[in-house]
Amino acid sequence: MEPLRIAETFRGKHILITGVTGFLGKVWLSMLLTELPEIRRMTLLARGRKGVDAKARFEEIAERSPALRPFRALHGPDFREVLSEKVDVVEACLSADLCGLSEAEASRLMSDVDLVVHVAGLTDFEPDPPLAIEANLRGALNVAELAKRSAGKRMIHISTCFVAGRPSREVPEFLEHGVSPLGVKFDPRQELDELSAEMLPLDSVRARTDHAMARGQRLGWPNIYTYTKGLAEHLLLTIPELDVSIVRPAIVECARSFPMLGWNEGINTSGPLVWLLGTTFCRFPSRPTNRFDVVPVDTVARSMTLAAAESMRGEGREIYHVASSQRNPLSFGRAVELTALAWRRIHGREQATAFESLVLRHLEGRPVEADQERFLDVHTVRRVARSLRALLKGRDAANALPERMRGELADSLNRRMKSASMKCRNLDRQLGRVDDMLRTYRPFIHDHDWIYETEALPAATRRLDDAERQLFGFDVDDIDWRRYWLDVQVPGLETWCIPLLKGDSVPEDEPLPLAHGSRRAGRRRAEEKLGENVDEKRRGLATHSEAAEGRRSQRSASA
Amino acid sequence: MHQAAFFRVEGTLLDRPALAAAAWLAGNARGLGERALRLGNVALAAPLSFAGSLASGATATRITWMGLRGMTEDRVEVLAEEYYDDFVKDELLDVGKRLLRRARKDGRRIVLVSDNIEQIAGRFADDLEADDLICNRLEITRSKATGRLEEPVVGGNLAGQWARGFAKANDIDLDLSWAYGARGGDSLLLSAIGKPCAVAPDFRLRRIARDNDWPVVER
Repeated sequence: MEPLRIAETFRGKHILITGVTGFLGKVWLSMLLTELPEIRRMTLLARGRKGVDAKARFEEIAERSPALRPFRALHGPDFREVLSEKVDVVEACLSADLCGLSEAEASRLMSDVDLVVHVAGLTDFEPDPPLAIEANLRGALNVAELAKRSAGKRMIHISTCFVAGRPSREVPEFLEHGVSPLGVKFDPRQELDELSAEMLPLDSVRARTDHAMARGQRLGWPNIYTYTKGLAEHLLLTIPELDVSIVRPAIVECARSFPMLGWNEGINTSGPLVWLLGTTFCRFPSRPTNRFDVVPVDTVARSMTLAAAESMRGEGREIYHVASSQRNPLSFGRAVELTALAWRRIHGREQATAFESLVLRHLEGRPVEADQERFLDVHTVRRVARSLRALLKGRDAANALPERMRGELADSLNRRMKSASMKCRNLDRQLGRVDDMLRTYRPFIHDHDWIYETEALPAATRRLDDAERQLFGFDVDDIDWRRYWLDVQVPGLETWCIPLLKGDSVPEDEPLPLAHGSRRAGRRRAEEKLGENVDEKRRGLATHSEAAEGRRSQRSASA
Repeated sequence: MHQAAFFRVEGTLLDRPALAAAAWLAGNARGLGERALRLGNVALAAPLSFAGSLASGATATRITWMGLRGMTEDRVEVLAEEYYDDFVKDELLDVGKRLLRRARKDGRRIVLVSDNIEQIAGRFADDLEADDLICNRLEITRSKATGRLEEPVVGGNLAGQWARGFAKANDIDLDLSWAYGARGGDSLLLSAIGKPCAVAPDFRLRRIARDNDWPVVER
């Protein structure tokens, strides 16, 4: 087995990355910047937003995003110098030909690029289909066109395990080209063309979504996200003159250690589900024995590094599963109970309200059959709210009161009835959103149970030396789900995701002060510091790993 | 050979009996019905644990922890942690503190003997930096408690045979070691150790201590 040396492989390389403004992209970029100073250059394709160009948008992320905290901590205020020397941000539109670059620009840029990593994508499960087609299909193909012009002619595409589609099964790390999850033979290019053409005459989002869903389901993909991502895989793997490796993460969740414990961003898959279990609607439609295939975001970032290294050495595999269901499975039953226990902790805190500590703390979530109606489930409460609203709306209290009381009470009663009616409407709307969410997630949390074969990444990890295994090794086997769920996942979601669900904001870092001294001195300091810190970190991690290994062997000896 | 100080945790270091822990864990099971059932089970053990004249206190201990049958390992761990933080952590008795300090000063190995389960007693032992812990272990199969305890069960009575075996395995001179107990059931352990001491003893242990001329320490 030939050793795989990550730092050596990345040394002097130029990597082009898309999707660095997203959750996973940010973490991977931060990991590369922090742990692999050997990389010569990184070009980031990004899009401007809300009147801010791509460069300014990335600068804002670099200054404030907690994902880049380790990189900023490594360099201090000099991090800007390092960034300006190492990172180029190019304004791009992935859905346009050559990502919006001219032929000359593309040739000039790509002639120096060794590897293209396409992280960008639209992760909504049921978006307006044209958006998903643009982002997940045309975007991937346009990036592939760029990658074909690169010096290395290699591309890593980030997909999802859930392209496996229906039915439940053990999913190999292999793609049968032109065969859908249900085993139907199809032509991916024709499928894309037909899908795009059929969207044109449909003028409502609902109609387009229903149509695309039906097309996807006919082939075995349960929603538009997996349908478009699945089609993209089939299309990319048949492109000639391009070496494509596909990294398929399962459900990407809070970081175990990098960029920091619990880091998460945006409203992801398990955020709403975890939030739901902390409310009075704590019946969770899932099958307790089904697997909840969760992987921490830093595990995915490590896996991307491994896949990228193998690809650059010409040893890349077609598919890499980044999943836990085969090697260290977590069942829904266990995840739901751990979530309930985590909420119990949260609701038991001193700052909890009386309702939280006296009621919610003792109302524990549990998995239930999806179609079985129960007291206090979403449908029942919604029905009650609607009936109440129908009863209250437009009623005049004066009609129900004796004449002598009308003058005193009618106005006040009408006001109260109106307010109660509004509350019922809001409750109905909120629960409607919850209901939609549960319906969207149902194939993944209730109907199907997949086991994703995960052999490629452990095999790559075995080729690493001890120090690099600590930094980049595939580490799903080491996850203690109880500790992860209680100390990382739920607290992480509580900080980074649940406030967004409630319409609040999440914390951002304060920008560091500007560096002093000349630019050259700053650069020198940064270079020196970079070398020292990375060496120190590697040494520290090695020591940490020895200590952990010592503790483990002690425990197993005593067992 | 080492000298040791054996502490029966319940009574000498802590006020709360293991029964309280079992009842609390059972009372925090998932769902109200499950809680009532489990609490009923633990309640069965209450009269037995207070009936000090039983031949073996292990029976009461076994029944006490049977109430956790079918509870997941995750729940036991999490609830035990909560119970420890809320009801055990800062509850070390003053007399226990004094005795521990003296044992350490005299260079004795601290051995804690507890009826409680490892998930609670282990945290206590870690906090006190005890050298050894003898406590009950819940049998866990497929991540769920079976309701049984692993052998040997540490019950109200711990026989001298056990102490001799432990001393041999750990190179401890029992004749020069101390043992501290608070309840009648502890008398078997105390009588197997060279220097027994009753700490704020109950009626039965006080009588035995008087008969055997053992020192008695009050709170």
